[in-house]
Parts: sequence; C-alpha cells; structure tokens
Amino acid sequence: MYFDINGKRVFATTGGKPFDNSKPVVLFLSGSALDHTFWALHARFFAFRNYSVLVPDFPGHTNSEGPNLTSIESMADWIHEVVEVLGARNISVVGHSQGCLVALEYVSHHPEKVRSVSFIGSGLATPVNAALIEAAEKDPAAAVAMMNSWGFGEAGHKHQGAVPGNSMVAGGMKTMARNAPAGLTADLKACDAYQNGKAAAEKLRCPKQIILGGKDRMTPRKAGVEFAMHLGNTETHVIDSSGHMVPLEAPNECRKLLRDFIFANNPAT
Amino acid sequence: MGHFHHFDTLALHAGQTVDDEFGARATPIYQTTSYVFPDTDTASSIFNLERGGHAYSRITNPTVAVLEQRIAALEGGSAAVCTSSGMAATFCAITAILSQGDHIVASSQMYGGNISLMKNTLPRFGITTTFVDPADIEGFRAAIQDNTRLIYGELIGNPGLDILDLDAIGAISKEHHIPFMVDATFNTPYLCRCLDHGANITIHSVTKWMGGHGVAIGGVIVDGGNFDWGATDRYPTITEPYAPFSGLNLWDEFGPSAFAMRIRAEAMRDIGPSMSPMNAFLLLQGLETLSLRMNKHLSNTKMLLEFLSNHEQVSWVSHPDLPSHRSHKLAQKYLPKGAGSIISFGVKGGRDAGKAFIENVGLASHLANVGDAKTLVIHPATTTHSRIDAEALIAAGITEDMVRLSVGLEDVRDIEADFENGFRAAKKFVGD
Repeated sequence: MYFDINGKRVFATTGGKPFDNSKPVVLFLSGSALDHTFWALHARFFAFRNYSVLVPDFPGHTNSEGPNLTSIESMADWIHEVVEVLGARNISVVGHSQGCLVALEYVSHHPEKVRSVSFIGSGLATPVNAALIEAAEKDPAAAVAMMNSWGFGEAGHKHQGAVPGNSMVAGGMKTMARNAPAGLTADLKACDAYQNGKAAAEKLRCPKQIILGGKDRMTPRKAGVEFAMHLGNTETHVIDSSGHMVPLEAPNECRKLLRDFIFANNPAT
Repeated sequence: MGHFHHFDTLALHAGQTVDDEFGARATPIYQTTSYVFPDTDTASSIFNLERGGHAYSRITNPTVAVLEQRIAALEGGSAAVCTSSGMAATFCAITAILSQGDHIVASSQMYGGNISLMKNTLPRFGITTTFVDPADIEGFRAAIQDNTRLIYGELIGNPGLDILDLDAIGAISKEHHIPFMVDATFNTPYLCRCLDHGANITIHSVTKWMGGHGVAIGGVIVDGGNFDWGATDRYPTITEPYAPFSGLNLWDEFGPSAFAMRIRAEAMRDIGPSMSPMNAFLLLQGLETLSLRMNKHLSNTKMLLEFLSNHEQVSWVSHPDLPSHRSHKLAQKYLPKGAGSIISFGVKGGRDAGKAFIENVGLASHLANVGDAKTLVIHPATTTHSRIDAEALIAAGITEDMVRLSVGLEDVRDIEADFENGFRAAKKFVGD
C-alpha cells in the first residue's frame, strides 16, 4: 500500500492482507539497501494469522520516495511517523541488521507502542569497513557483491532459495543494486556513525529476542552475545547453519522463533 | 570484491544441499507426486506461499528445484522454473505476461517451433507477432506498437545462425519499457549470459547442450529479476492482485522473482507442464560437465569448419565464427569462446546431393535434435522447418540445399571420415 509521510510517497507491503490498525501489528525493518521483498514469506505468515503486517521501504528505497535518511536516529523518527500516520499500536518490531539499530532507537523512544522486539543478525553497533563505504559510492556493483558475499552463508552461495527455484543471493543482489549507490551509501554511513546502541539497549523493557546466524560474518556471534548482555533478560537463539541473512537462509527456523515469541508476547485474537 | 563460486563450481554444486539423513552426494531422485505435511499449519503455509516447500510435484519437486536453482545460478537470474520441454517454457513464459490483444516483436530467424507458436497458435488466443530480420535493429524499434508487450529472439538464430545484437535490442526494450526474452538454447550460459546484455528473461530447451546426452526432454524459464514490472500498468498479471492466491500481488511481495512466481502460481498449477524428477536428475548429470563438453563441441566445430570450408563438394559454409558470416563481429562480441556448435552448409548438387549426403553418413545421426553429445545432421527444409511457409523459410535463411550439422564430441577425425562417405555418395549429383 502507498501513503504519504511529510508529503512524500511511502510504500509498505502488508503481507497480502489489508492493514487494519485495530489488530496487533508486526513491523518488519529491513537491513541496508534491502526492501520489503526480504520479508515476503514472514510477512504473509503473520498477515494470515490475524496480525496486521507492515514492511515499509525506507525513503529512497525501492518503492518509497526519497530522499534517503542519513542517520539511524532519523530513520527511527521516520518509523514513528509511519506508525502515527497509520495509527498502529500493539506492535511487535522485527529488525534485521541495520533494521535492528533502527528498532533499538525507535523502541527506546516509544516503548508505549511496542509489545515485543526481535533483533536478527545484530550487535549494539554496526561499524562498516571504510573500503565498503568507498565502494558503495564509487563502485556500487562491487559493494553489492561484497555485501552479498559476506552476508550469505553456504545456502546463499549455493543459490538456494526460501522458495523452490529461487536464488536468494541473486534476489538479494538485484534488490540491493536497485537501491545503490545512493540508498546503500546512506545506509552504510548511517550504520557506521551510530553510537547510541548501548544507551538505547539499556532502556528497553519490553520482551526481547535475539536471533543470530552461527556463520554470520557481518555480525559475529560475539557481538550478538554482547548485545544480549546489554539488553538484559533477552531470549537468544543461534541458528548454526545460517549466515547473516537469517530470514532468507533459515526461513523455517527463523519463522518458528518469531512465531513462538510474538504469539506469546503480542497475541492476536 | 566478495568471493562467489565460479561457473564450473556452480555447475556441480548450486542448488543442492547434501541431505542430512543419508548424505547422498548425488542429487536424489524424489520420484513422488506429493509430500506428507507434518501438520495442518505447515500445509496451509505452503499453499499460501508463506513458506517454501513442496506440496505436489506438478508445482515443485525437490530434484527439479535443484536443477532450477543451478540454472538460475549459471545464468545470473533470480529464479528459474523448469518445464516439460523448451516449447512449454516458451509458451508459459509468453502467456504469463501477454493476453488477448497483446503483441510481440520477434526475430524472424528462430526455431520452427517458436515461429509456428507465434504465427499460428498464439493468434488463436489474440496474441499477434511482427517478425523482424534479426540484423535490422531499427526494424525492431519500428515494429513496436502501443500493444507490444514483449520483444523475443534467439541469440544464435536457428538455423541461419545470425547473432542477435543483445545490447542494442536490450536498449530498445528498456527505452520502450518492454521485457526482452531470449531463447538461449544454442549458446547456454557458458558461452553467453544474455541477462548481462539487456535480456530480462531467458528460455532454454535443456534437452540440448545443457543436458547434452539426448536422453531427456526439458525446458527452463529464467527470471532475470532485472525488469521493473511496476513501472507501468501494462503487466497486470504481475502487478495486480492474483485472485487464486487471496489477492496476492506478486510484484509487491516477491520483487525480483515475481515473474517466476507467476509461472509457478499459474502455468504450473493451471496448465501443468512439469518436468519429471527423473528427467531433472538426468539433466543435472549433463549440466555438471557443461563447460567441458562445450569446449570440446567448440574445438570440434573449429576443425570441422576448416574441413568443410576446404572441401570441394561444399558450396558454402555458414557459422558465425567465420569472417564471411554476416554476424561475425557480433559473434566475437557476445560469444568470444565460440559461437556454438551448429554449422550450416550446402552440398554441391542441390537437394538430391544433400539427401544423398545425409543418407550415406553413418556415424552422424540423421534426426531432429541438436546439442547431443553425438554428431547430428538434418535437412531443415523438409523437417524442422517444414511446417512454415515459403516466405518464412526465406526469412529464416533456409535454402533447399542446406544441411544443418550439430557437432558432437566424437574424435573429429572420425566425423571427417564419415562425412567423406556422404560426400562420395553425393558426388554423382554434381553437375546434373
């Protein structure tokens, strides 16, 4: 569906069901240069179980009008505006990678809206290699290749897909390429500059969940464990076979963890 | 730059996870129609496209899925769907996006089945085609109408072997926002990845070089994931809600693989031209050695081109690697390893000499196929292209004396010796 935020056109997929703000909401926040298609199967799963699903494309990404946002804090503020415009409440936030940083900021500032938060493939911060940022600006194809090469584990590198016949790594590369160089560069710089993770994490009081990929080369397990320590009282899961792109690489395990957690903490009638 | 597996590695490994229970190294043949669901929630999730998985082998099958993912990987596509034959792939790919009243601009130099589909069959469903000489780039632009929804061609045209200028036609397709679909059977992704040169969708008869052994019929549609279906309202089958799946909007939900998802959701479900698991297994065995075989096809082709070009009973030889071919420069650009292993040539003495040649070779098989490991010969005017009219025959570059040769993997000295037998028999017609 399309709607306006500050006069700019915004796209969000709702998982195949109309958005209904009287239902509990599952809000998916995508990683750098990715978009709503990253969450396709998960969005449909919750939408067809009486949740309202919201997967917005961040400004300047895929179907949403720019300009790109340049800090994690501004992305969190923008998410707040999306939530307000749509009248969403009783929200379960699910972030992946950069989306986790946005989730941290958003939930720490608007706890009254949120029933639970799930962080997939994240630490307290996401420092970005300077060479990658430079590549994003000057040679976006190389940057996209680096991110997908590092991001996907074995299943991705063997071109397997969450849906039979689909290649998840090719899909990821084509989506990122669509949002490069401007969206990718802005996202990577925003991730690199974000310093408020520790303070934001310590403010979170709602039920929290961390899902990590055991073979994640972008957010090593150590960073995820440190993140969990700062969050406190957080259920932490490691899917051994997965790289960084957990929702695609291990969709069934990931869905089960999200389902059990969200059903328990933000039940839909 | 990040590391990705290269072509030969993908040809062996892409798409397969070694099974946990038995550790089968080869891809197992899942010879089953259907799959036991662990619970009702899983069943409904698979049917509703909330999770990947298999419900019924007409739609998806684990063995076929390995082949699909492997070909998608080799082509650089976001998804692939295998079909029962190459023609099934072409029909399903076209009808996934075109409906009554729509129009195709297509190369005039294509496999007879493709021409017949567009000239005879699709018009019955209200889909018309304008055929254009593949060398006439401006002709493609000029043939575009308000209702044109597809540009179609073969990279290596069959049987005249004209090379389609992919970049130029891709630019026209982009300019007019019309997807560009390429039948890449004759080149395979080893010789050229058409998706890297402006194509949005590729089609293969995997019966041919991809399989290579001539034991299994199959086709594949590869979604390049590089066409913006949502930029216009011309492709409602991709961008509008699809009623059979609770109003699923494929473009919104699946983005770069929306086209493949449409094939899966509609053609495989409602029409059902599925590939059998056994055929997928056989084709996987062939695909593992694609580059090795193609290199041998090409080296044999090179030697036979020399042999035929210097033979006193050969009136002409056509292959894009020859400087005399009108597509030679395009062949060098798009097919630097070699422009495939099909050679057309004329036998001196005309139709009767050609017939005598074909009937007197023994190692080379006289049959209606190409891309087999074995050398094949045929007379297109009376076989593969016999159902198209004289005008189309000329447009396709087919002459009565033409012999189409699909160069196999035998020792080339044996092929040459075999051909000498054919030429000896044909000699009596020279000068008649």
